[in-house]
Amino acid sequence: MSAGAGLDPTGATPAPATAATPVEDLFSLGRRANALRDAALGRRGTFARARRLLATSAWRGPRDASVSYVEAADLAALGGWAAARDAGATTLVGADLATLKHAAGARLVARVPFRGGESEQTRVARLRALVGADLSLWGVIPTPEGEPYGLDTVRFTAVCRLELPAATHVVAEVETLGPRLAQMCFGFGADDLFAQIMSERALRLGDNANNPVLTRKEAVTLIRGAGLVAAERLVNDVLEDALEEVT
Amino acid sequence: MGSTNALPRIRDKVRDGEPLSLEDGVALFAHRNLLEVGALANDVRERLHGDRTYFNRNLHINATNVCEASCRFCSFARLEAGDPGAYTMSHAEAWGKLQARLDAKDPITEIHIVNGLHPGLAFDYYTELLAGLKRLQPSIHLKAFTAVELHYFAKKYGMTYAEVIARLRAAGLDSIPGGGAEIFAARVRKKICDDKCTGDEWLEVHRTAHRLGLRSNCTMLYGTIETVEERVDHMLQLRALQAETGGFQTFIPLAFHPDNNALMKLPGPTGVEDLRTYAVARLLLDNIPHIKAYWIMLGVKTAQSALWFGADDLDGTVQEERIYHMAGAETPQIMSPTEIVRIIQNAGRAPVERDTLYNVLAEGDALVSDKPFRRDVRRRGLEVVS
Repeated sequence: MSAGAGLDPTGATPAPATAATPVEDLFSLGRRANALRDAALGRRGTFARARRLLATSAWRGPRDASVSYVEAADLAALGGWAAARDAGATTLVGADLATLKHAAGARLVARVPFRGGESEQTRVARLRALVGADLSLWGVIPTPEGEPYGLDTVRFTAVCRLELPAATHVVAEVETLGPRLAQMCFGFGADDLFAQIMSERALRLGDNANNPVLTRKEAVTLIRGAGLVAAERLVNDVLEDALEEVT
Repeated sequence: MGSTNALPRIRDKVRDGEPLSLEDGVALFAHRNLLEVGALANDVRERLHGDRTYFNRNLHINATNVCEASCRFCSFARLEAGDPGAYTMSHAEAWGKLQARLDAKDPITEIHIVNGLHPGLAFDYYTELLAGLKRLQPSIHLKAFTAVELHYFAKKYGMTYAEVIARLRAAGLDSIPGGGAEIFAARVRKKICDDKCTGDEWLEVHRTAHRLGLRSNCTMLYGTIETVEERVDHMLQLRALQAETGGFQTFIPLAFHPDNNALMKLPGPTGVEDLRTYAVARLLLDNIPHIKAYWIMLGVKTAQSALWFGADDLDGTVQEERIYHMAGAETPQIMSPTEIVRIIQNAGRAPVERDTLYNVLAEGDALVSDKPFRRDVRRRGLEVVS
């Protein structure tokens, strides 16, 4: 998908960055982001069994998913948000602000693009434009354009946490980051793991080397391994702490 | 929680240059806040190296995957010649890997050679392999044969470690890679690699090499069935040998890859566990100069992140790495110097091209990938201990 179109600041002079400065030490940035997350959302990392409405109108993911979402890039083929909602989608994920703004009744998750080489001020300005759009976002997904750098990603995750309203969820997406980097983001303010959760996954070999599917146990292991309490988001955002898995 | 309370004490010891204990290492693994452990390791890394981050231009040759050992974590080995997927390169094939780089005017400074324990090859196969590579490029540094292979050669061909090393050295061997250490604890070795050399034998091979004036690297395979106490004990045994010989150049924590081997039911280490292991290694191994984030095994993203968690080296350009790719490594098999430089710079570090012995070949403005690198460097050798 084109992750950049809607969230790039358009000509406005970026406000001076105060919450996160380009020179701030990585560890200081991470500590502040984690403290903010812990204060606002608890020291908890969540995940959900989600299914995706594809452009073909088919669903990908488990039938009993607690989250049913559609990517904004697929809306045109589906006939718009209203049609997606009628098909069962409740959450809209996308980067284009106008599309998000006109999705009545949707839970909104904004993809916030970032790419190598851009300054932290540029990224902060992008996030402030998002905050200024007044969208009542449930969460944001830091979305790399191209192959992400590890340190770029964790820094930007922390900046998202620091710049956005405290209750906004900062989501680490396994498909774009890979499981290792997605887990590291929990050390820099992320609180939600976005992955296709299946009962079993194929081996990561050959053409399937980047298989982004996680088992529930893997999701719990990643979150716990980052030092957080793992909890599954059930229907209506009921959180159920994962107690049974042994890592 | 005890481990949380231990951090100020550990911080004091690190500041005062006091070696950390087994208890300290275990506490660092147990500490709930990765960033606090990482920041402490980063202080040590920057005290030793500043922002300098090393890489080299190298080529991997895995000349055979036929192997008598049946390590349960290995996806590379085929037990017998003729098994599906088994291969053994002819000398011409192996030499051709270097010739191709020379023909392409794509210079390298090091060849890293690691193989299976092939029961059907004569010792001359290995000496001629090295000699032929040196004939093609006399300046090439040959970092070849793990301690496990050298131990196997000694047993199979009826020589002492010193005799094996001397004969290989005469054929062109320059230093020894760090592989095969796995975890020294006998409990773990019995379960994951009980038919290869013991931890004591691995250490003795390196001790012998160091006494003969060769430098070497050292490793630890983590993420199988070992406890954190066993990881810390492993690192402390390496530190003790280093105190005795000073021959280790770099420590390389190797993350277990669970796909395509007998341990595939294990989850394998996570990204946070990787970073924590690097950080603890930097703090425990105060007498080993370098910690290498081997990008082939960690993945590029994690390896780059490790540059702020204790690591100061990314290994090299590599090419044709097979061992970890047969275990599900997701990385490419080669990176250009330009890509490596970009990754290091993006991390806010200063790239330095080195040779195998950490002589600086290029840095700063001189670090342009298509320019020839300096060759007039002084080689640092170990003093031979008679």
